Amino acid sequence: MPLAAGAVLIVAIAMFPSLAPNPYILSSGVIVLNWAVLATAWNFVGGFTGYISLGHGALAGLGGYATGLLITKADLPSFVALIVAAVLVAALAVPIGFAALRVRGASFVIVSIALVLILLLVFQSWSSVTGGSRGLVVPRPFPGMLRPEHHRVFFFLYGGLLLLALATWWLLDRSRFGMGLKAIREDEDKAESLGTPTFAYKLTVFVVSAAFTALAGGLYALWFGDLDPVFQFSVLTGSYIVLMALLGGVRNLYGPVLGAIVVGVALEYFKVEFGNTPLHLVTTGLLLGLVVMFMPDGVIPSLTALVKRLRKREDSSIREVTAADLAEQRKREREAANS
Amino acid sequence: MPSGALLFQSIILGLLLGGLYALLAAGLTLYFGIMRVVMIAHSAFLILAAYLAWWTNDRLGLDPLLSLVVTVPLFFGAGVLLQRGLLSRLRPATLTMMSVLITFAIALMIEGLLGYAFTGTQRRIQLGYGTASFGIFGARVAVVKLIAFALAAISLVALYLLMKRTQFGWALRATIQHQDAARLVGIDTERTAGFGFGLGLATAAVGGTALSLDTTIYPSLHWHWIGPLMAIIVVGGLGSVPGAAAAALLLGLAQSLLQIPMGATWAQTVFYVALFATLAVRPQGFFGGRLAQRF
Repeated sequence: MPLAAGAVLIVAIAMFPSLAPNPYILSSGVIVLNWAVLATAWNFVGGFTGYISLGHGALAGLGGYATGLLITKADLPSFVALIVAAVLVAALAVPIGFAALRVRGASFVIVSIALVLILLLVFQSWSSVTGGSRGLVVPRPFPGMLRPEHHRVFFFLYGGLLLLALATWWLLDRSRFGMGLKAIREDEDKAESLGTPTFAYKLTVFVVSAAFTALAGGLYALWFGDLDPVFQFSVLTGSYIVLMALLGGVRNLYGPVLGAIVVGVALEYFKVEFGNTPLHLVTTGLLLGLVVMFMPDGVIPSLTALVKRLRKREDSSIREVTAADLAEQRKREREAANS
Repeated sequence: MPSGALLFQSIILGLLLGGLYALLAAGLTLYFGIMRVVMIAHSAFLILAAYLAWWTNDRLGLDPLLSLVVTVPLFFGAGVLLQRGLLSRLRPATLTMMSVLITFAIALMIEGLLGYAFTGTQRRIQLGYGTASFGIFGARVAVVKLIAFALAAISLVALYLLMKRTQFGWALRATIQHQDAARLVGIDTERTAGFGFGLGLATAAVGGTALSLDTTIYPSLHWHWIGPLMAIIVVGGLGSVPGAAAAALLLGLAQSLLQIPMGATWAQTVFYVALFATLAVRPQGFFGGRLAQRF
């Protein structure tokens, strides 16, 4: 099942650029894929351990800025800078995770929001290095390439990154490590008493998640070419990611991708139709609230449950025989065996 | 080295700011004590109250303090509704995480609606006594800052008396300490928890009015408040009201003093440094906080 869906996804990614009617649609596709990678990367922490981070937008922004600064200040080639930036962000995630994950739940969320706020403050104020509010211009990796071709290349790069992230999630899901993480999600006390090194597991998966997030952020910097702290370190980015993952379903490999496609397309559509109004915030908040209240497991499990309920007659797992019938049946079987 | 008068001025301003922080942190601590909920929307309600105070002054021509007559009961009711209608309906297993998302969603909605209703323009209350100030020992203190501090101090004392001297306060503290035991002695813990939330949100109404007196407000201002407030409750030890008050005064003072060498923007980082340092060194907080051990 995951392999079949994966094949569909690969074909979709391979076909989309040639089907896209114009470069604008293609660039929207790049943005949606960026969301899909971010939501999948978020799901390493959110899906496995149940710890919800509202600060992943900041990790992506950090990846973008690190990539941009390594190119402009350290003269690294674009894609070397991308990898180095991801390693740096992963390294930075160790002390952040150390502070955030030593205790349970609440502190993690607090730290994740604080991370966005402090990074926004630093990157806006430290203008001698980061360009401050004027932003940072990142040189393009393929100078001279025409814009539609540029979009196409980055669409495939993002597609590759998405498949890599999905494959990693799938492998973790089936591993002993993933089992331990899911035990933390279900009951951290019991997991710990059964000998799962909960803190080390949580920290490791947080670092992996940060690395994928930073890669997505770095690719965005290379693609878009211009970074503004207000958008890179926005609480809204983090909440979009959470909305996508929750809407799609955090326990499912493709849940975040599905959520990213739905929410990402909706975001692009509303941007074109209505521009940037404060009602964006209201709609996002309302949707997030509705998802949390009414389908905290996401669309995929809700729909599966609905389908199951409709087809109940055919494949019910509960035997529909009464205890008396069962006793009768057993008695007959025993007699048959005896005779 | 800054002059003595400047230092003294900063200390006074820091303590006045710390008083407001303490009142707001008390509200956050109440929520956390009752339900282990980190209420992200607290500061959004704060800004909402500030806008209502501004509206009272600007459109109705009344003193902004009069808006308290409406906002305090209104916010109390909103807090009760929030707890009874939304938070208590979440699954207990994922309550901490999902309640953060719910309150976060509410914060986004309030910010968006404020932006829609009042536009993103920066607003400021113009008061007859807005520029009045008086001097003590060479420091100049604005009258409005003192009014804001007095509001915060009076509300904190009222909250303290309510918690210690009234039957409702006993019931609320019992609910915080041990919900099942409280229910066994006949306390309607669900109703008490709802009222506790109302009380917490009422602190945001008072705080917002106090804030509006001498601050320029805009819809996204609440993000500048929620970070420091969350740092305060973590440093104070989640769930401890005296701890939160001590941390609030200390960090308010530190912010005010650091503004002299570092400037206003960088001085804000003191909250985040304190937050990270506390979690890395002493996750249960520096001022007690029994509940913090596990959270």
